[in-house]
Amino acid sequence: MKNITITMFIILVVVVLGLYLITFQVRETESALVTRFGKPVREITDPGLCSKWPAPIERVHRFDSRMQVFEADLGETTTKGAVPIIVNTYIVWRIAEPLKFLNAVGTVKEAKEKLYSQITDTQNRVIGQHSFGEFVNSDTTKIKFKDIEDEMLSDLKQTVSDEYGIEVKTLGIKQLKVSKDVTVKVFERMKAARSQKTEATISEGQGQATKIKGDANLKSSVLLTAAEARAEAIRGRGDAEAAKHYKKLDEDPEFAIFLRNIESLEKILKDGGSTIFLPPDSEPFKLLKEVPSLEPKK
Amino acid sequence: MAKEDKQSNKDLQPQAPDKSATEDLDAAGKSLSEALRISFIILKVIMVVLILAFLASGFKTVGSDEQALVLRFGKIRGVGEKRVLKPRTWPYWVFPYPVDTMVKIPVEKKEDLVIRSFWYYQTQERMLAEPSIEKPRVLPTLDPINDGYCITRSEKLDEPISGSGESDYNIVHCKWQLTYQIYDPERFFTNVYVKEVKPGDIYFDVITKSTTPLLQSLFEDAIVTATVNYTIDDVMYEQVEGLTDDVRKLLQEKLDTIESGLKVVRIQMIDKTWPLQVDAAFQALVTASQDLETSISEARTYEERTLNEVAGPVAQELFAALQDKTFSEEEMDSLWSQLAGTAQEKITEARAYRAKVVAGARANAEYFQELLPEYRKRPELVIQKIYQDAIERVFKNVDEKFIIPKGAEWRILVNRDPSLKPKNQQGAND
Repeated sequence: MKNITITMFIILVVVVLGLYLITFQVRETESALVTRFGKPVREITDPGLCSKWPAPIERVHRFDSRMQVFEADLGETTTKGAVPIIVNTYIVWRIAEPLKFLNAVGTVKEAKEKLYSQITDTQNRVIGQHSFGEFVNSDTTKIKFKDIEDEMLSDLKQTVSDEYGIEVKTLGIKQLKVSKDVTVKVFERMKAARSQKTEATISEGQGQATKIKGDANLKSSVLLTAAEARAEAIRGRGDAEAAKHYKKLDEDPEFAIFLRNIESLEKILKDGGSTIFLPPDSEPFKLLKEVPSLEPKK
Repeated sequence: MAKEDKQSNKDLQPQAPDKSATEDLDAAGKSLSEALRISFIILKVIMVVLILAFLASGFKTVGSDEQALVLRFGKIRGVGEKRVLKPRTWPYWVFPYPVDTMVKIPVEKKEDLVIRSFWYYQTQERMLAEPSIEKPRVLPTLDPINDGYCITRSEKLDEPISGSGESDYNIVHCKWQLTYQIYDPERFFTNVYVKEVKPGDIYFDVITKSTTPLLQSLFEDAIVTATVNYTIDDVMYEQVEGLTDDVRKLLQEKLDTIESGLKVVRIQMIDKTWPLQVDAAFQALVTASQDLETSISEARTYEERTLNEVAGPVAQELFAALQDKTFSEEEMDSLWSQLAGTAQEKITEARAYRAKVVAGARANAEYFQELLPEYRKRPELVIQKIYQDAIERVFKNVDEKFIIPKGAEWRILVNRDPSLKPKNQQGAND
């Protein structure tokens, strides 16, 4: 019994060691290349358990198949109209074909060097076919920024896939700038545009304020005129009502006029400060001249 | 046969050339045998324990903020939804390494990424310092290496500024913040490069560090692509939400194109400014805009005050009614009754005049009618009485009375009282 246990244990160890030597795993995030005596014999891109001859007969070279980002340096290029622009282009890439990658490039570091020059070439070639107005334009229908990025991607994708076994998933421009000297001109233009806007705003403000005040004065005038008209009508009604009472004076107009004259005289000389010159024979001052001759009534 | 038996008997029987040495050997052998036996027992126990521990190491938990994938010999185990293990109260059991490997992906944690690539260069001290009134020294240009910025399109002008064209553009500085999380752990694990986790590292920190360069590039690309479609005023004031929305859509599109398993939770533009080189011009417009608001506000105040003085709170309504001929007389009367101000004073004066005139006329008529019978009886006496009484009252108020005899020549100096000078002479002397 003891011997069987030991034997089984030994067999298990041998089996495990044996499996370790002749199998290997390829993870979901990897691809692998098997070389026999240094010569590539098999490319594995599907994950799972695989077999091989033990080293040194066969060796496994692993490659990370996940996406990585790589960006070229900020560089100057020119557009179709010879307008210089400064761009920083990046790509998201992965190793798709390990055999081709190993043969053409070898390591990720070397791959980045190759990609750098490829990106720069593509960048210059594609951007050189488009005017600056397709990058930025006051007419948004003329902006083709995204289309230019797609064009660069198409231009680069096939080349690096065919030559290096690299798949470029996406490409983009992450910085779009202009040179130092150009920024001076841009600032001058921005200042001029702002000045124009400032003047327009000031004029608009003055105009609106003037209009509001003018409207207010007009409304005020209309309201006062309407009020005056209404007041005139009221006064007219008053005069008409008063006139009804004047009909009663028709019984003796002369006497009525006399009474009205007396009233006027009193009102005119009511406030004082007047000087009057009278002849000596006016009533009652003629009494100052002489005694009147009177006879009693019989 | 007998000899053989005897021989074999002899063989079977232990030979004891030296009886004490043999006994020693037996004791040693027994000890060794016992020791070996105990060792094997211990070894067996250890093996059993190890096997149990090995099997027990297959129990794994998935935290509430995680989801997990099980790799069997490197390949994700399961089909459909079962490929991703969700959190639960009891642990999962998987074959221990090297058969199965469990990879846990944090899917609930949200991480922030701030982009300062589009901001002008600031020294570390400047960045950490409190904002001060004193403006930093500004160079006349922007250095493309050190200074970051976005390019925005110009507005379409009816009268373009001389020397400008369609491809005119402006420059704006901005800072952005992205909040993201992993929403598809399988895609994320399979497609996005994450550095190897070393002992002592926190997996989430390793993920964040690994994904930052990728997210930064995609985010900046989205910002640059979106911003060229907006003007500087859109970015600064008018279309901030629209721009942020466009950036979010573009970024999510890119993340989905590369099958990253990442989701944009939120994007914010946390700061923005025009270039410091054009600060004066922009500030002048801000001031002009504020002055515009002030002018209009003052004009509205003037309007309100003027109309209130003229007609009170009902002024606007009354004015509209006067222009609109469809108002009925009752509606107009109702409005007139609410009148105040100068207009109301006019109406009030008119009403007072009316009342006075009517009352005066009535009084005069009544006085006349009372006197008339007496006048008809004694006309001369009544006339004289009324006349004399009036003359008395009048002369009481007269300052000077002169009775001039006939034939005498009088020269009169008028307006001897300075208080009675005519107004035009008074103005000249002042």
